[in-house]
Amino acid sequence: MALSRRQFLTLMGGSAGAAVLFQACGLPEKELLIDSPPAMPEDLVSGIDNWYATTNNQGGSSEGIVVRVMEGRAKKVEGNTNHPLNLGGHSALSEAALQGLYHPDRITAPQVRTGPRGSGEYREISWEDAIARLSSRLGELDSSNENNKAVFVSNPTGGHSGLVLEKFTDSLGSRHLSYEALETNVLRTALKAVFGTDSIPEFDIDNADLVLSFGADFLSSWVSPTRYARGYGEFRQGHEHRGRLIHVDSRFSMTAANADQWVHVNPGTEGLLAMSIMQVLSSSHSNAVFGDLDADGVLDSYSPVNVANEVGVSVDIINQIADDFSHSEHPIALGGGSAGAHTNGTQNLKAIYSLNHVASNLGKKGGVLLNPRSPIDGVGAAPPSNSFSEFYRLAEEMKAGNVSVLMVKDADFYYGMTDTADMKVALDSVPLIVSFGGMMDDTTSVADLILPQHHFLEDWGTDVPLAGPGYQMIGFQQPVVRPFFEHRGSNLGTKGFADILMATAQVMGKDLGLDGETFKEVIKNDAERLYELDRGGIVANSFEGFWNGVLQRGGWWDTSYKIDNVPEVNRLDGVASPEFGGLEQEFYIQPFISTLGDGSAASLPWLQAMPDAISTATWQTWVEINDKVAGKKGISEGDVLEIRPANGRTIKALAMPNPAVPPDTIGIPIGQGHRDGGRYSAGRGANILSVLDSKLDSENGSLAWAATRANVTTTGEWIRVPKFENTVPEFPRDEHQDIIQITSGDNH
Amino acid sequence: MVDSNKWGMVVDIDRCTGCQGCVVACQSENNIPINLEEHFNQRRAIQWIRIERYWEGEYPDVKARFIPIMCQHCGSAPCEPVCPVYATYHNNEGLNVQVYNRCIGTRFCANGCPYHVRFFNFWEPEWPESLKNQLNPDVTVRSRGIMEKCSFCVQRIQRSTRESERDNEILEDGDRGLNPACVNACASNSLIFGNFNDPDSTVSKMKEDAMQEGGRGYRLMENLGTDTNVIYLRKVGESVVEAPHG
Repeated sequence: MALSRRQFLTLMGGSAGAAVLFQACGLPEKELLIDSPPAMPEDLVSGIDNWYATTNNQGGSSEGIVVRVMEGRAKKVEGNTNHPLNLGGHSALSEAALQGLYHPDRITAPQVRTGPRGSGEYREISWEDAIARLSSRLGELDSSNENNKAVFVSNPTGGHSGLVLEKFTDSLGSRHLSYEALETNVLRTALKAVFGTDSIPEFDIDNADLVLSFGADFLSSWVSPTRYARGYGEFRQGHEHRGRLIHVDSRFSMTAANADQWVHVNPGTEGLLAMSIMQVLSSSHSNAVFGDLDADGVLDSYSPVNVANEVGVSVDIINQIADDFSHSEHPIALGGGSAGAHTNGTQNLKAIYSLNHVASNLGKKGGVLLNPRSPIDGVGAAPPSNSFSEFYRLAEEMKAGNVSVLMVKDADFYYGMTDTADMKVALDSVPLIVSFGGMMDDTTSVADLILPQHHFLEDWGTDVPLAGPGYQMIGFQQPVVRPFFEHRGSNLGTKGFADILMATAQVMGKDLGLDGETFKEVIKNDAERLYELDRGGIVANSFEGFWNGVLQRGGWWDTSYKIDNVPEVNRLDGVASPEFGGLEQEFYIQPFISTLGDGSAASLPWLQAMPDAISTATWQTWVEINDKVAGKKGISEGDVLEIRPANGRTIKALAMPNPAVPPDTIGIPIGQGHRDGGRYSAGRGANILSVLDSKLDSENGSLAWAATRANVTTTGEWIRVPKFENTVPEFPRDEHQDIIQITSGDNH
Repeated sequence: MVDSNKWGMVVDIDRCTGCQGCVVACQSENNIPINLEEHFNQRRAIQWIRIERYWEGEYPDVKARFIPIMCQHCGSAPCEPVCPVYATYHNNEGLNVQVYNRCIGTRFCANGCPYHVRFFNFWEPEWPESLKNQLNPDVTVRSRGIMEKCSFCVQRIQRSTRESERDNEILEDGDRGLNPACVNACASNSLIFGNFNDPDSTVSKMKEDAMQEGGRGYRLMENLGTDTNVIYLRKVGESVVEAPHG
């Protein structure tokens, strides 16, 4: 008897089904629920779990999370359904916080360097000794009236940690610089100019019908991706009509992949395109806003015919985008990422955000909602970071011997500056480098004294989101587990960052003017002020009830406290053309954030192993290159390429051709190439930031990190690219049974 | 209230951004071994839920599409009849379950699965001592030689069912303790989980709406007749391959 495959499977299924059925007859129903050994009666484990709410603002974006704790150990992170920004969803970065908490390479006690700098040779010392060393050194500076020789560099730190840090550096009379590798500084400068406030507004993507984004990979890495993804879901399928996403970018990013229309532009010309769209709208529609916006008549020179060639987009497409924008009821324009990372970055973003004035969408549903000030005076969102030009100046001061103590917290600028060799010379000139790092990173690896801070899941804190929900809010961070190194005793292990500063100030006899002896007390006392406001979502009869409510919900917010007045419309400036380093080089380099943020998440194996959305590559540094261009050059996947900008510095990375890369561009992910950072990141891949030209934004001195060009050469070596693609066999191709099925139209 | 449960999922790929938040949430919940570089190079990385990326066209008319794929918990599962030791079987709640301590590692089930969602432990899973503190005590760590796959987080179904019975409460549709980890993580609400036997559940309503004429619903490789418990909702948009524009 000939048996077809289908018949065979049916027969097999039938016989097995009969077997299961037979089994089912003889077994009690509950028995069939035995699915995996933990549920088996003889070793049933059914511990009690508790979920604690806290806030994660690592990496700059705020997320309310709840953490599952069993027997004193954190087991799982989930989104806090109450939190106004993420409403229950959460990012991979939040999930991977667990691996940061239990990382095998965490620093378990204060350390003092015993070998040469960078040798990794340290000796454990007590907290008493560590704080005495720091305070006596700072005290010497103070008494000799050389206050300006101590410098504190941190990540942009807001909330109560930011408050304590500011009071501490003020009391020392030392300078404080905020560092971030990819600066929101440009964005905040532009927002300040356009909306009159440098906090990042809420984009009500949920209720918009057109999102026109420029360069901002907002679904993957830009500002607050979890919040935007939440909005995106509703934007697509939460309303009767599906929203339309037009993404303007010089790279095919994850957001570009999700867009209905990806408009490829030449790098750095996003602002020209925005100006041109406004020019079309001003000439075809009577809109009173242009009277203020274009009082100087600058738009005239940006007609589609004038800019189409430079932008690399046809006149028709510019007209079509303008048409779509003007015919939408609730359009939003947003921009950032690579659009702000050029010599004309601030100008680009100013032009882009001005489109919202044209749409008159400020303060409206489906538009741009400005964020009110923090509910607690003196406790705000993180201040803007200092620009790269300020860090170049700092490096010069270090070299000149004008910095005698450098304190560093969560700011790995030795990794992130463009010329790390130069930064190394500068750091070597500083007599004492103190790091508060709880894990090694490149900068901590050259520190003389390490005072390891708690992981954020072990510490108190508050978070005023830089990109708030459009109303007043403050997130609360509480320890969800006891410190992991508590067993080492109070004189070893880790301590909370703010508590370290407060203890140091106390030893130095300085009064920081804080309301409380410990960091927790400071926060709790300020929470009492919130309670006295007698508004917001937490209603309680006593402060203790309010305090418990705040901790249970993960924060305090008042949905009715919004900004109602629309800011004045400022006049448009012109947008200059971008400038590039090494015009004779063949490719534009497009650095991009993949899964490791700015590199600070490289120590976390879940994020290292998380496939890049576009290439599915993991654990390595790869080069996105157009597959046809690669073919012509004889480059195949895994070929080791040397990236050579005109500045002479080079890195090697693995070729990863794909069909969406613009032919004149290479994309390289940021985040690898650490000297130190634990077993999962040290010595892995290459650091693209280290070879960028030191081109700066013309208005605020920020690094124009997308303004470098480079040649690409093969080295003759080949390394297999660790990628998820092809880990499982490809599905058979069947034109009637596509795996991804697409339907046109607006139906549900 | 319904007498029996049939757990299932609806996946709206028009909402999915391809962010991989679900992938990492799953790794965390289910004690999936850390996929090191060499595991990817050997093509032996384990992801119970994965995001597949499909290319359409080429620059400049190019699209990349994302789809999350996990065990489809087939009603007629090709993996079930081929297991010689009944390590994989269908339970009475519609789940395709894997009993690890029965599995002898023939890998017949992985060969039989058309969705390639079954993963074999070629190596003994290893974690540095301190990272073991994160492991979920409700989920077994699978040893070398064992097949594993998405269980719809059966430990959560069991725990929440047990607790609701204990407290004499009704387990509500969309309960966060019941939802698989991927569903809770998904910021864009692409993944919805629930009971297909309950006509009032969100998934039942979505399925009914989606599978009617003109609806967006489909099953992966429906022609195989696997009767999956995962319903996909079609992506909305234009295909650049069939109707190139520009």
